[in-house]
Amino acid sequence: MKALALALRSHALLWQQWPKINGHLVVGLTLALVTLPQAVAFSVTLAGVPPHFGIYAAIWGVLFCAMLNPSPVFHGGPNTAMSAAMGVILLPTGAPFGAEYMGYALTLGLMAGLIQLLFWLIRPLGRLLDLISEPVINGMICGIGLFLIFRSLTTFGGLPMNTEVEWPLWIAWQSLLAVLEVGNLHAIEIGLITLITCAVLQQFERLRNWAILIGIAAGTLYSQYLSATLGLQTTLVEQIGNLSSIRVISPSLPLFSQEAVPDIIAIVPGAVTLALLGLFQTVAAMRRMSRKAGGFTDSRKAIFADAATNCLLPFLSSLPSCASFNRMWLVHRLGIHSRITIASSAVILLLLVLFFAKWIAVIPMPAMAAVIMLLGANMFSWEDIKPHLTNRREAVVFMGSLLSVVFLDLFSAVLVGSILAIAYSKWEQVNPNISLRGNVLKIKGNIYYGSLPAIEAIYHDAIKRVDELVIDFSECYYIDAEGVRWLAAAKAARKVGFVDRRTGQDRRTLAADASSGRREDEDPRAGARRRKRDRRRHSEF
Amino acid sequence: MPKLSAKLARIVLPVLALGGLYLLALHKHAQRQDIRGAAVVLTPGCSEKLGHYALVPGRQYESPYVLQRTGARITLRGYSEEDVRAIQRGCNIIDDTQGRLAADPWRERWNAKRFMRGSHASCDHCHRGIGDLQDAAGNRLIGSNSLAASWIGGDMYDRFTGMLLPYELRQMQCYINSSNGYKPNIADDVIRDVTAYSRFLSAALDLKIANHYEEQGIDEIPASATLKQGDDYIRGEALYKEKCQGCHGRGGMGLEVNGQLIAPAVAGPNAWNMQSRNNFYFVSTILSGFICRNMPPGQSNTLEHQECRDIAFYISNLPRPAGDRQGPLAAVQQQFLMAVIPPLLRLSAPGKAPPQPPLEHASSKTPRLVPLENGE
Repeated sequence: MKALALALRSHALLWQQWPKINGHLVVGLTLALVTLPQAVAFSVTLAGVPPHFGIYAAIWGVLFCAMLNPSPVFHGGPNTAMSAAMGVILLPTGAPFGAEYMGYALTLGLMAGLIQLLFWLIRPLGRLLDLISEPVINGMICGIGLFLIFRSLTTFGGLPMNTEVEWPLWIAWQSLLAVLEVGNLHAIEIGLITLITCAVLQQFERLRNWAILIGIAAGTLYSQYLSATLGLQTTLVEQIGNLSSIRVISPSLPLFSQEAVPDIIAIVPGAVTLALLGLFQTVAAMRRMSRKAGGFTDSRKAIFADAATNCLLPFLSSLPSCASFNRMWLVHRLGIHSRITIASSAVILLLLVLFFAKWIAVIPMPAMAAVIMLLGANMFSWEDIKPHLTNRREAVVFMGSLLSVVFLDLFSAVLVGSILAIAYSKWEQVNPNISLRGNVLKIKGNIYYGSLPAIEAIYHDAIKRVDELVIDFSECYYIDAEGVRWLAAAKAARKVGFVDRRTGQDRRTLAADASSGRREDEDPRAGARRRKRDRRRHSEF
Repeated sequence: MPKLSAKLARIVLPVLALGGLYLLALHKHAQRQDIRGAAVVLTPGCSEKLGHYALVPGRQYESPYVLQRTGARITLRGYSEEDVRAIQRGCNIIDDTQGRLAADPWRERWNAKRFMRGSHASCDHCHRGIGDLQDAAGNRLIGSNSLAASWIGGDMYDRFTGMLLPYELRQMQCYINSSNGYKPNIADDVIRDVTAYSRFLSAALDLKIANHYEEQGIDEIPASATLKQGDDYIRGEALYKEKCQGCHGRGGMGLEVNGQLIAPAVAGPNAWNMQSRNNFYFVSTILSGFICRNMPPGQSNTLEHQECRDIAFYISNLPRPAGDRQGPLAAVQQQFLMAVIPPLLRLSAPGKAPPQPPLEHASSKTPRLVPLENGE
């Protein structure tokens, strides 16, 4: 009886929780299906290694990251920029897909993981990664969205992908022309059916989480219909293909032999680039998406998660892992922020490739390309872009970052965006807001070695014109040693009086006082009152 | 109500846009079918070349070249009308890549020019003899960059990139680097037609896959084939001015008269880029080999090996576009040099005309033209 009651209670509990579990499973399945074609494409076309490298990264990389990274929106796994960088770094070491090349690929991944571990161990190095501002990240997100659309055009049109590095915009334009002129019309039809199905269904709240799955199903059904009526030899539509060789674990060892040492030394700079590329994306994506989801995760934990994952993955025949903007965007869009969901996507993918490889094999690549294009389009969010366009400085940083992704690459975008943001911030510091009203010289900003020349120019002009000058630096938030010495020298010149936060001038009435010629010592009681209030409020001065 | 209309717009607009794209694709496909079905107007060179090899549609093909050289009648599977048109278009692309001889370049060349940045480069400049250079007796020449032998040797290990390069990817490299252009998609008709032409040449010359033929690639000149004096810019400059400048112009910018290309640029925006194998700094043996075997026109094989290396060294020091993979800084630097150096050269130019190379130069050296044995 007890057992029956327990079973009934569990069943009732399961029934109550079913919508939630169902939601987790749908999102997990969607994530697994979205990751699969990316994993295959990134490993084969970008990194030059067999598809199982990408698939293991999509399983074990995602799983390790979900376990180690506390962020509920973080989705690791194979990454476009890292895979492309691997292909370029490893080119001199041997022929792609060769045994040696794969060994070097694993060694490169391990070295990148160890370098990332250094970023975790040496705290200031890790803090450097925080210099990426929000406009930089949003610029990168939009750039990646465009990149995903461009990248998928050829697969969408049933054409082979252009693999070599070239100016991406021109490739995109040529790819579009090629799709229109010589693309496989059957592939285009499959892609369009998938795209339209997804785009229409995601407008309905109840079907939003199912949109991608139904879209892929619609594309696959149409592809199967074409194959049945015309034959695959006529339609020539590329499918995901046979994945039956995938096992639960495929142990591997990075290449570390005496003969390989010169080549390993040669790829060390590449490993540093790869490590930075991963960390920049991870920190940027996690910060942005955590903020969107209303949470916060310490970037040091993300660095550790990435580093540890990338130290383990080379022993599991896998590509290195880092955050994926597009998949994290999808997690956010689907609205279920949970590490369990993300971990479940890895497990579902493993089960899919283990038990449903035959079914997955028939999913047409154009349908997958259509899904990736949709994800790219969804990464353009006017709500996120608009605030940056209202502020000129942020607009420049945002556009610089976006254009750098489009014209250069992801890593350059981080560099260009960060340099622009830091340059603007420094420019603001070296040009404090200085105003002279009556005999009051008011400085808002910093008094430090960089801003002193600008302050001095106005100070010397003012001191010639007034008998007694009051320097008001109550709204300064930083004065360095050189600034203190300059202030002391100015004070020693006798003609100068100070208003700072200790002396307690009320900044709202200071301008009025200056214009009416009233001095602080005319009303000592009021001054004392204000001084007391100010000291409490601004204890740092 | 406004919410519903916004949702409706979000559904209808993408559907309309994607539907429009599909209709455009249908239109473009139909246009392409028209072009591929239309008769091809051959360039004079191609007309002669393909006529010489008796290319006509039919069930069987017998190469008159093989018959003439070996006396053997080798019957191969013939070419359909569609095949013949593809081969003809491929030949036109090689002979006149920029479509200068075409009445409607876009239609007749299937727009090969859109993959090139400069206005000079043509495949025939390097793959001379429309990809099949022969001497007057019909002997194929060593290291003449034959497309037929290239097709035979395609899909093989490439010693420069360390990759197994299919013939199509090799063509892409030509588009990107040698013509400083853009890469067509591997399935593009430009690539397919040139492949069809190269394959036909290999059949017409009876070349067999997996054999090595001496006319494949350039007959390279490594430093070890010289007296090892070292490559010299000053010697190269003097030689260039004496032997090359008359046609290729000051600073290697090429020579165009009334819109007709007399000699292509070997430097500047219309030349190959820094990542081309023609660039001495990338592969030091190829350009010097090409110069020795082909230059000056009518006097090929008259220059010493070291002279060819010196000229190649000098030419490669002239400003030219950066390769796509060299990044934006190199691109900006090269663009700046290309903008600044030609005016400086004009300013520093003496009033007299550059020395012309002797057209009927009676060389004291024995020509080293090396024909292949019959049928090899």
